[in-house]
Amino acid sequence: MSAEVLVFDILAVLAIISALGVILLRNPVHSAVSLVVTFVNLAGIFVMLRAEFLGVVQVIVYTGAILVLVLFVIMLVDPDELPEFHRGQPLQQAAGFIIGLMLLGELAAAILTRTVVGQPGPWTEDFVQQQGGNVQVLGQFLYSGYVLPIQAIAVILLVGTIGALVLARPDQPTVRPRTRSTGTISLAHPRGAEGEFHPPLPIGAGAAGRAARVERRGEMRGGIIVVTDAESYSDIPAWELEFAEPDVDQKTYAEDGFGIGREGDRS
Amino acid sequence: MNELTAEHFLLLSGALFIIGMMGVLTRRNVLIIFMSVELMINAVNVAFVGFAWEQDSMIGQTFALFVIAVAAAESILGLGIIMALSRRIDSVDVADVTTLRD
Repeated sequence: MSAEVLVFDILAVLAIISALGVILLRNPVHSAVSLVVTFVNLAGIFVMLRAEFLGVVQVIVYTGAILVLVLFVIMLVDPDELPEFHRGQPLQQAAGFIIGLMLLGELAAAILTRTVVGQPGPWTEDFVQQQGGNVQVLGQFLYSGYVLPIQAIAVILLVGTIGALVLARPDQPTVRPRTRSTGTISLAHPRGAEGEFHPPLPIGAGAAGRAARVERRGEMRGGIIVVTDAESYSDIPAWELEFAEPDVDQKTYAEDGFGIGREGDRS
Repeated sequence: MNELTAEHFLLLSGALFIIGMMGVLTRRNVLIIFMSVELMINAVNVAFVGFAWEQDSMIGQTFALFVIAVAAAESILGLGIIMALSRRIDSVDVADVTTLRD
């Protein structure tokens, strides 16, 4: 037995065992993890078949994207709703297994008695290497003879994305109360303070404007100026302004480590 | 069989396809059915690449690439349908989907 056959046997047996785990395990999360094992083993099979790019795509697309999506959907679906494997319908299960075994026998017979017709193509291992490798040859194929299918795939993916958005949209759109705008932490927009609204200040020159600015400046907490909304935007950069002394204990925020301060930290 | 032949890969592909088909036929959880469909698609890919390897052709790999792209779009839509279903009938049991039966 050559080493190639040994590697193939290991990969194939692992793939089939984990594929059986997909349909036999009760917990859908275990099934999904089992499916990941199957796909990784199939990626190894692809690499054995001199389809290195497909192996990489298999890992990225299937185990990286699709299975993560499946796990998210399992997480979103209520686990109490998941039906048990052995509940009800033994007839259906027996019929499924019998039909499957029959079809497997047919497939095996067809595979083992087949005859190869047609002539092999030019893409032997050496020729592919001479052309630059698997990825280069596949790229030449995709962008010379298969340009139209590539663009059809682009349209299909776009339609799939839009369809997923439409399907996942809730029946009743969520209404959020818009009471408070998002808090921002900024070095350049010093007006305003956490939790209170400061109307935009007149940007005046001279002592009066300066006094007003000093009086109504945003809070400075541990070196970071906290601004609540877009209304308190100012064109004056922060480093040209003077700030009111914060009315909070600096030590509280120094212990915080970040100086940002949480709601309720104010003493 | 000391030499690696296409029969190895075709038998693996057939076994995976049948396992996926058994999953579709016997399970009632629509998520498991979805995963079984993915398994069947992968089995077909193995057959494509196996034939391409046997025939020294690149068309099989190209086709498998297209199959993977279509499977990605299909999985997005399938999972969207599963989520809409679980929201609508509060279940992922295929036996509970009786809208077209009654």
